[in-house]
Amino acid sequence: MSREVSQTPDINKSDSPATETADSKKPANYKRISDDDLYRHSSQFRMWSFTEKNLREKRKKTNERAIGTINEKLRKFIEDNKSSLTEEELQTLRVKASPLSMEEELQLINFYSKKVQVIAQHLNLPTEVIATSITFFRRFFLDNSVMEFDPKNLVHTTIFLACKSENYFISVDSFAKKAKSNREAILKYEFKLVESLKFSLLNHHPYKPLHGFFLDIQTILYGKVDLKYMGQIYDRCKKKITDALLTDIVYLFTPPQITLAIISMEDEQLISRYLELKFGKDISNNTDDQENGVNKEVKEVNKEEEGGVPEKVDDKHEPQNDIELNKLLTIISQCVDLLEKSESVTTDDAKRVAAKNYYCQNPSILLQKLKRKLESSNDNNGNESPSKKPKIEE
Amino acid sequence: MSSQFKQLEKLGNGTYATVYKGLNKTTGVYVALKEVKLDSEEGTPSTAIREISLMKELKHENIVRLYDVIHTENKLTLVFEYMDNDLKKYMDSLTVGNNPQGLELHLVKYFQWQLLEGLAFCHENKILHRDLKPQNLLINKRGQLKLGDFGLARAFGIPVNTFSSEVVTLWYRAPDVLMGSRTYTTSIDIWSCGCILAEMITGKPLFPGTNDEEQLKLIFEMMGMPTEATWPGVSQLPKYATSSASFQQQHPQQLQPKDLKALLQANCKEKLDDVVINLLHGLLQLNPDMRLGAKQALHHTWFSEYYQRQT
Repeated sequence: MSREVSQTPDINKSDSPATETADSKKPANYKRISDDDLYRHSSQFRMWSFTEKNLREKRKKTNERAIGTINEKLRKFIEDNKSSLTEEELQTLRVKASPLSMEEELQLINFYSKKVQVIAQHLNLPTEVIATSITFFRRFFLDNSVMEFDPKNLVHTTIFLACKSENYFISVDSFAKKAKSNREAILKYEFKLVESLKFSLLNHHPYKPLHGFFLDIQTILYGKVDLKYMGQIYDRCKKKITDALLTDIVYLFTPPQITLAIISMEDEQLISRYLELKFGKDISNNTDDQENGVNKEVKEVNKEEEGGVPEKVDDKHEPQNDIELNKLLTIISQCVDLLEKSESVTTDDAKRVAAKNYYCQNPSILLQKLKRKLESSNDNNGNESPSKKPKIEE
Repeated sequence: MSSQFKQLEKLGNGTYATVYKGLNKTTGVYVALKEVKLDSEEGTPSTAIREISLMKELKHENIVRLYDVIHTENKLTLVFEYMDNDLKKYMDSLTVGNNPQGLELHLVKYFQWQLLEGLAFCHENKILHRDLKPQNLLINKRGQLKLGDFGLARAFGIPVNTFSSEVVTLWYRAPDVLMGSRTYTTSIDIWSCGCILAEMITGKPLFPGTNDEEQLKLIFEMMGMPTEATWPGVSQLPKYATSSASFQQQHPQQLQPKDLKALLQANCKEKLDDVVINLLHGLLQLNPDMRLGAKQALHHTWFSEYYQRQT
């Protein structure tokens, strides 16, 4: 089964072009649905949208749980080897085998998210599959720590699952061959992944809103925009959307909000002209009576589903004709700020964190390394023995 | 199986799953347990992934509810809302001797309303069902109707006749699809709704074809042969030329569309009015662009008693 391909401009309430064949007059309670309404009914909204505070708490919880396990293991390791451990070794363990902080975990997750994108692009997968891969990967590590699951073991698994859920058929063997992996490795954590995603697999990426807004901008600003220019911005925005998926933006803002922010980063004037005309003053022709039904429903769903209701920046869902331009502009600029702040993780940083992650889980290897280092410096021949270090691919 | 559920009798077999009736031991509520084997070489079957992913979004009173997914060593169990019956079995049960009977019109209307409500919700969520047929419409004793079996043909509450002609039923397939159109839109589900409406009225399938050609022939005999004038672009469809040629061979004289009302009336005890026929024509437009949308259909006069009550 596939989703319908037709596009609906967002915020701009639209309905499929209605051809009146039979007698089908719209009664008074005829309601139109915007993509924004749809999003608010989605499992993505219910389960995967947070406030910054929620998000931090969620990560903190995951991080603390893993730290607890690691510290317990370390304590046991030290206790078991108490008699043989030198003071220097104990010191090394304390410094180098300490568990990762929440920030360090995030660095590693961000680094590997980028990797997911690069590999998926390399496999020539469609944009939506790439987007879903990144999304799955990042969500997995909201509830699981990199100290519990090595992120590099999830890279192929998430891409393969994204292929399945986006209906992009590829057999595991040909996938494994292309990705230079093997079936067992790809499938090992598949179910753990599906489970961690809480079976919520359908994604609302900002690409559809982007398409919708471009159509609507061309309608609203008809004759005032150059189509060739619009085409260029469109392609740039599409790339920027994929970059945004590598950040926390997707948890904090809705897909149409992110889209508007991204278009405005490309051409701020275009967006302000468009929004001004669209929502600025005259709203008299927007008379569809949209009751608060949608809002109520979302709240009800929230209550029954996985606990907490995330407070959104614009949690108050307001009917279309009440969209406040100023409020919308504020949200867009908040989103732009966050997008501009996000920066990628350097390979060096990732390597450092990955090494730390490895040693805190494998203290004995750290000690072996220390021993070899001491031996080689004692030998005084200057040739360091090849140390066993976790590899992080470029 | 998780100890929370007691597995009862088998309800049906599917291509990728077996469905059992189950009892939630804590709540005493019946459920339908769809078991998916995981020994598949491909990991979790993508059909299951797709179905789970769609059902997670579709929470509506006219769509069968996915409660939970349970994972045990070698199988995945999808826990669905249990429904007593499906529309196909229900209609079969009304057959007197060899004569199928239609449903009472007030029930037809209630079922059709619910079918369109569920479908409108799917379409709003940009999901096409693509396999609407009486077997996939689950009903219960309270007269509720829910869309079931998303993602894959067989399975839900269907008797174990997996390889009967039903499996490949073409009866509810839209003419554009039959002629090889690849641009699937919501209109393909609407066509199926039209076929189902007619079938509920008479108890007989409207277009019981056995292969693609016959299916198209039955449709064209009833609704007329489409032309570029009535359906711009139709001649571009892959199988238009052949089906049009063979149709003209069989019917050298220009064939007029049949009187749908008269045909249905012959198999319906109650008196049919023009309003329901008008709705039927709206659903069964040959040209997919001319078919009503689910929302539009819900606002058709025939349903006025429902939507007026809602306002």
